[in-house]
Amino acid sequence: MTPFEEELRQALKRREPAADFTARVMARAAAEDAKRNSGFWFSWRLGLATAAVAVLTLSGGVAYKQHERSLKGMAAKRQLLIAMRITGTKLQLVQERVKESEQEAQ
Amino acid sequence: MKRSLLKLAIVAIAVAPVWAAEDFKLPVSLEKLAERATETVDVTLDQSTLALASGFLSKNDPDEAEVKKLIGKLKGVYVRSFEFDKEGQYSKSDVDAVRTQLKGPNWSRIVGVKSIKGENSEIYILKNGDQIGGLVVLDAEPKELTIVHIDGNISPDDLGRLSGHMGIPELGKAKKNKSDKTPQAKPDKDEEQSEKES
Repeated sequence: MTPFEEELRQALKRREPAADFTARVMARAAAEDAKRNSGFWFSWRLGLATAAVAVLTLSGGVAYKQHERSLKGMAAKRQLLIAMRITGTKLQLVQERVKESEQEAQ
Repeated sequence: MKRSLLKLAIVAIAVAPVWAAEDFKLPVSLEKLAERATETVDVTLDQSTLALASGFLSKNDPDEAEVKKLIGKLKGVYVRSFEFDKEGQYSKSDVDAVRTQLKGPNWSRIVGVKSIKGENSEIYILKNGDQIGGLVVLDAEPKELTIVHIDGNISPDDLGRLSGHMGIPELGKAKKNKSDKTPQAKPDKDEEQSEKES
């Protein structure tokens, strides 16, 4: 056996793994799994948060629009009732003056 | 083609003043009176605002329910009312700016009352076939000037339904007055007086 063959035989000789090899492999696999899961949860939560913000913004916008419309509507109603009261008062006044005028004519 | 366009143009020119005469607008010159007034009411409600207001009128409140029915046919409600602390704060030209617009063929002064105290009240209606297409109330007093313009179909029955609500009088009595001719006999006299004044 030449020295080269001897070196080759030594290099390819079966060696038993260390006693904690299985434990280390399993620990590393678990760590990789946890890392992968954590990334998934992070992106899922980010998506959920984005959707929640979008829904809140949208519903907030709709609520604001409704509130704004309600304020405008109430203001318009107040103006309308004022206008009707003035119209009523003036028509009443004219009617009274017409009556007075008739009485004076009689 | 040119002839038909020419005819169309002639018809448009002929009809335009009639349209313009019926299109009543509160004069912009009235705005300056607000500076001198102690109290001003400025109400401008176009059709869309009336529709918006209508949605907020309660069906359970008798006053509001009647107003809701009435405004369905209206195109606009405009009110300018000025109260002054002394006389002479508005001029005859301010009132004439309103009257001039009501001289169109479809406008009729149905009531005109002038008192010795200088109170001058007039009601004009816009005839739209058998219906009333608009109403203008002009009340000029020494310390107060009020102009109300209700644009749109408004019948005496509509106003009659408001009787007892919002302080609007029963129009049945007003109709009687109108048929007595007393209020209509007044205008000519009033106009003569105002011409003499001017």
